Parts: sequence; structure tokens; C-alpha cells
Amino acid sequence: MSTVTPSADERSDNRLRMPRWLTSEHPLPWLFPCISLLLVFGLYPILYSLWLTMYKRNPATRVETFDPAWNWSRLWADERVWDALQVTLTYTFVAIILQLTLGMLIALLLDTDRKGFSILRALMTLPLVVPPAVTGMMFLLMYDGSFGVISHALYDLGIISKDAPLLATGSTALLAVIIVDVWQWTPFMVLIMLAGLRALPKDPFEAAAIDGATDVQAFFKLTLPMMSKIIALAVLIRGIDLFRVFDYVKVMTDSGPGTATETLTAYTGTIYFKSANFPFASTVAIFTLLVVLIVANVFIKVFKVRF
Amino acid sequence: MSFRTHDKQRFIIDSANDFTNKRISKRDFLRKMGMAGVGMSAFAAGSLGGFRSFGNMAMADAHGETPEDVANFLREAGKPFAGTTIRYTSESTPPTVVLNQLKSEFTELTGINVEIEIVPLEQVLAKATQDVQGQLGTYDLYYLDQAWTATFSRDTIDPREYYADKPDLAMPGFDFDDFSEPLVEGISLYQDKWIGLPFDIPIFTLMYRKDILEKHGIAVPKTYEDFTQAVELITAAEQENGIYGTGLQAKSGHYSLECDWSQAVWGHGGSIFDADKMFSGNDAAGVEGLEWYMNLLANAPANSVAATWDGQWQMGASGQIALCQSWAEFFPGWNADDSAVKGLWEMTTPLQGPSNLRGRDAVGFGEIPNWGHQGGSSIALSRYSSNIDAAWLFMQWACSKDIMTRCTLAGGFAPMRTSSYNDPRILERQNLEGSGTTRHLGTVLETINNYMASEPDMAIWAGLANNEIPTELGKLLTGQDYDGNAKACMDQIAKLVDQQVAEAELR
Repeated sequence: MSTVTPSADERSDNRLRMPRWLTSEHPLPWLFPCISLLLVFGLYPILYSLWLTMYKRNPATRVETFDPAWNWSRLWADERVWDALQVTLTYTFVAIILQLTLGMLIALLLDTDRKGFSILRALMTLPLVVPPAVTGMMFLLMYDGSFGVISHALYDLGIISKDAPLLATGSTALLAVIIVDVWQWTPFMVLIMLAGLRALPKDPFEAAAIDGATDVQAFFKLTLPMMSKIIALAVLIRGIDLFRVFDYVKVMTDSGPGTATETLTAYTGTIYFKSANFPFASTVAIFTLLVVLIVANVFIKVFKVRF
Repeated sequence: MSFRTHDKQRFIIDSANDFTNKRISKRDFLRKMGMAGVGMSAFAAGSLGGFRSFGNMAMADAHGETPEDVANFLREAGKPFAGTTIRYTSESTPPTVVLNQLKSEFTELTGINVEIEIVPLEQVLAKATQDVQGQLGTYDLYYLDQAWTATFSRDTIDPREYYADKPDLAMPGFDFDDFSEPLVEGISLYQDKWIGLPFDIPIFTLMYRKDILEKHGIAVPKTYEDFTQAVELITAAEQENGIYGTGLQAKSGHYSLECDWSQAVWGHGGSIFDADKMFSGNDAAGVEGLEWYMNLLANAPANSVAATWDGQWQMGASGQIALCQSWAEFFPGWNADDSAVKGLWEMTTPLQGPSNLRGRDAVGFGEIPNWGHQGGSSIALSRYSSNIDAAWLFMQWACSKDIMTRCTLAGGFAPMRTSSYNDPRILERQNLEGSGTTRHLGTVLETINNYMASEPDMAIWAGLANNEIPTELGKLLTGQDYDGNAKACMDQIAKLVDQQVAEAELR
């Protein structure tokens, strides 16, 4: 028995018969698993939600009829959507300012190689590993009007009244929740800022010192401008995350008192789970997505963020 | 008993240490927190693995022997389903908690495993909603609050029909007629269909601290006017001692607030809907009821606007309040052996309103205006279950005469079955003070039979009662909107409700 070994030309011909996009040299086969995952877990839910928004649901009969404008006109007329948008924007804006400011200050303090500071830097990251629901529970107990340590400290300092529990009072509830977010996520800002500070070149600072610049002047004239891209990126990432806040609100206030802490995502959950109006809940969700996209794109353009 | 601040803080710290060091159970920890007046939300309690804090349940009383004929039936009927697992999700109500303790008896007899998920009420609704939307059959049995009866009616199997259709699985002596007729009508019946079996009947009665009333020479209130006077007087006299006239379950966006509100509306001669199926909470009687409720808030602990029934229970258990018109099932816990106020709480029938009740022909959607708001629930068989027969066996066992009586003895809640009220084991405890008391059941039965009010039966009521109504009320009560104008709030609710009723083509 003899075997026939194909010549080099024949092998080449066989390879030519395969579509190019299936050859190992083409990027598509390598990208296929990643693209599949993105399509299934990223794009499909969004498309499905979009499809849902096109149906008017009768909550009594559960009959859904095709009416693409119905949910959007209802959303436009729903005051709670606009209240929730206002709460969400306030929450995002206040939290990002506090996290950025505190994050930068702490990063500046920790940006040293003195003995023991590496432990401090590690300790700073601890809040990040606590699940948000657990964080919410911890603070719920600490804010409790009867025995919470935070409430008691504030009573003793005369800042709040015993007749106005922090989480049950409209004027304080949102800030109380934001503080929890700040506690948990400021370390994220610290990490980003520390990485940025450590990557800065030394020469400009040495030159500035020779010219007699103070630390404050060096910070505003050198550090901040050179860190601007990193700051913008960090703000973008946290901003998008803050816009979707749900866990702290659900655990600590359940959107109350009234709707003082009701964010867009919390309202989406309420419509979905309490009223079972899935198309309208999807519409609010898509609306939230659109707002995030618009705000993020404006931010990227204004601050020239590059990935 | 009321704690001095230092003692209270010490007590809380010691209890927390005991819990952390596993010297006491989660349940004991929650109970002690209740004694100290710690207002944990339902979520908080749930997160600790606990349940609705209705005090010390005499679990030992729940254990016993399933009657021989029932046991023999279950052994035989359960054979084909041995090894099957059925799932049930429920709020942490007393009967569910007791049932969870007893379920091993059922498993021993039938070989059918039972998994009971105990979560806060809003999560029960969310889970049931998802299950029926996808027709998933994740849960074989649903716990359905009376406010959801119409919403889920098409998703459940009528137990009477199933009993007749499946004689091999029909428990001997099950006796449908033994279920209290008002409870069946108010909780489980929708358009002539039983959506499940009545399982739980919290109902509003008037509870009062006899020691505080005697101290101030106040007679037991009979009317809303009496009640208001007593509450105002006690708050004025006792607020310095940390005691308020009453406590509320006024958490915005929560069903508990809707329950308080509807009681206030009916109590003032109003209704939720009129005969034309238009929202009527914004008429004169409705607004008067809401204004009365707003006045109560000024005589209640500040935490009332963040409290659901758990918080209100804790207010009573910690000696923080003197009068409370709320769920009768609070009573046994408040009078349990380990209660800070054991023997001091008494119960009587609900307050009589200043106006005549609105007749049933003057209201819509089957609403029943009366003096005592009922918040009962059904246990229902899912149409989408793949273990319907096994679940049906469990459901019959759970709602059988013996188990319902034993749940009552252990949990102090009111039984659904008429026979339970005359069971010797129940009668034996009717003069008891302390854990396992049944001395309140006479009042409960009288209230069920004569004063029971029930919310509208309509398919979108679950959404309205859990979302729009309590959310707008919350905005009013917390000062977020409406500038304290009850009529403006009611008008907004009317607009939202009427719009949804029209969209659902229910009018």
C-alpha cells in the first residue's frame, strides 16, 4: 500500500478553497467568542427591551398591543420619571464631586514611600470589597434613630433632632445615602489618582521648586493639568456607575421618604415588580440608557477623554 | 417597661455581643432588639435570616400528631410523589413560620420535600409576578395577599374543583364549609372562583395599654373621636417619657401605609371606589379620614413614616405606644412571656366611625367598607407547576383543621377555620396571660364576622395598593409635596388611579 503525499501546490489549492474569513489568519474566528458573548449578553437584552417598549400592555388582561408611541408618551407625562431624573442627577453630581475631591486629597496624602504607608494604601481599599447591599445594611443600622451611632453622634452635636430620623426625613435622606456611596467608592478614586500621581514625571516639579513655586501652586499648575485625562476618565467611569445606582436606595430607603431618594433605576424596579408593567419599565430603562449615553458623550467631547 | 437611654444602649450592646458570639439565636436577637425599641425594617430583619417580629412563638405547641386518618391518607396518596420537591415562597407571617417548622412531619408521611422561601412581602409579589409572567412554574404554591387575589386569579387552580376532580388526592374530612365564610369572600374568592385556600387573617382591631389608660383615667375608646382625644392626651402627658399616643405603619411606597389609609377612609364613612368605579378617596369623607390620619402622625414616634408592620410591632413591644388600631396578630407577641409589656395590652373590637358606613352597592370592584381592615392571604396552587399533585397534597395538609389549629397555638394568629375557635386546645388558653395566649381570639372572631372590611377586587389593585397610592401618600406625610393639603394629594391619586382603571378597560 502506498500513500500519496500532496504536493505544496495542491495544499495551497485546498487552502484557497476555504472562505478567507474562516482562515486562521483572519481576525474573525478569534473574535467570534467575544462577539458572541457581547451579542448575547450585551446587545440582546437592550434590543429585547427596545422591542418591549413598542407594546402597550393592559395590566388587567395582560394583552399587549403594538403601539410604539404609547409608552414614550406616557413617560413624557409621568412626573415621577422627571423627579427620579432630578434625584439621579443630584445623586450623581454630589457624589462624584465628593468622591473626586476626597479621592484626590487622600491620594496626595498617601503618595509617599514612607514606612507604613503601603499598609495604609491597602487598608484604603477595604470598603471596595464589601458588597453594596451589606454596606447599605451596615449604614441602615448606624443611621437608625433609636440606637444608630451616627444618629446619636449627630444628636449629641445638636446637628439633627430626635424627631427627624435621617433616613425618614426628606431633606436628609438623599444626602445620607450619598454619604454611604462616598464611603464605599472614594477608595476607587484614591486608587486611580494614586496611579496617576505615581506616573507623573518628576522634572517639572523639580523645576517648579527651583523657581520657588509652593506646593499649592504646583498642584494647580502642574498636577491637575497633567492628571486631567485620568481625572476625566475616572469621573466618566464613576459617573456612569452612579447614574445606575439602585442597591443603596433599595436597601436603605426603598425610594422614600415619599420619592425623595427614588432614582431612575429604582423607579424602573418599582414599575416592573409592583405594577408588572414590563413595557413601561423597559421604556424607563431605555430612557435611562439614552440619558447616560448623551451625558457621557457630551462629557467625552468637552473633556476630550480618550480610551 | 421602658428603658432608660443608658440601660437601653447597654442592653442592645450586650444582645449584639451575645448574638455575635452565638450565645443567642437570630430570633432571640431580633426579639431583644424589638424590646429595646430598635426599628428594623422588614428588609433588615430578613437579611438577618429572621422573620416578621411578632414575638415569641410557642413552637413546642405546634408539634403533635397528624390525625390517623389524615396520616394514612397522606402515606398512601404521597407514594407516587416520594422524592419530589415542591417550592413555596411566602412572607414571614406567623402561620408560614410555624408551617416551616412543621413541614418535616409532612415529608415523613409522604416523602415529598418542601422548600419554603421566607422573604419580605414586596419580594413575594415580585417573585410571583415574574413566575406568572414567564409561566415558569418555579414555585408550586403561591402566597397571595388579598390585594393580589384578582391579579393572580387566572394563574391558580380552584381548590374546590381540584378536590372534586381528583378524588384519589382528596383528603378525608377536609371540609371546605369549615372555612370562615367572610374570609373566603374577602380573601380567596374572585368572580366565583376560589383562587386558593384562606391561610392567614391579620385583621384590624383596637389594642390598648390598660395601665396607661388607667393612669390617665381614660375610658377604652369606642369611636374615632374618643381615640383621637386619648392619643393626644397621652402624647402630651407621656412624650417626655418616650411614650406616644399611637404608632403608625406609614412607610411611603409600602402596602402597610395603604392599609392604614384605607382603614381611615372607611372609618370616616368613605370608600376607595364609588359605584361608578371612580376613585372616591378624594371626596369629603375620604379627605376627612386622611386628615385624621395626618393628625395621628403628629402623635406617633417620628420613625412611623419609615415603619411598616414590623416597626409598628416593635413600637408596641418596646412600650413606646399606648394605643394602636392595627393587626390583631400583634397581640400574642406583645403579651408573650418575654415581652417588656406582658399582660398590659388588651384588645377590643375596632373603632366605630363618625359616619354611617358606605353600603356595598355604593362602592365598586367588590370593595367591602367596614370598621376592621382585613389583610388576609391565601395559599394557592400554581397552574404552571410541574408538581401540581404533590403541591396539592401539601396545601391540603397545611390548611387542614389540625394543622391550622396547631399553627394558631404556636403562632397566635387567628385561624381560618371555624372549628379551630372551638377546639379544646384553643379554649384551654383563652384566659392565659403569656406566650400562646388565645384570649384575643374572641374579639378577632367577632370582628371577622361583623366588622370585616376588604379592599377592592380588581386585576390592577396589587400595583395601585403597592405603588401609586402609598407613594403619593408618602409624599404628603413626609412633606415632600402637597404642602400638607390632603385634598390635593387625594386628587392626584384619583387622577392616577382613574387613568389606570381606564387604561385597563375596567370601567
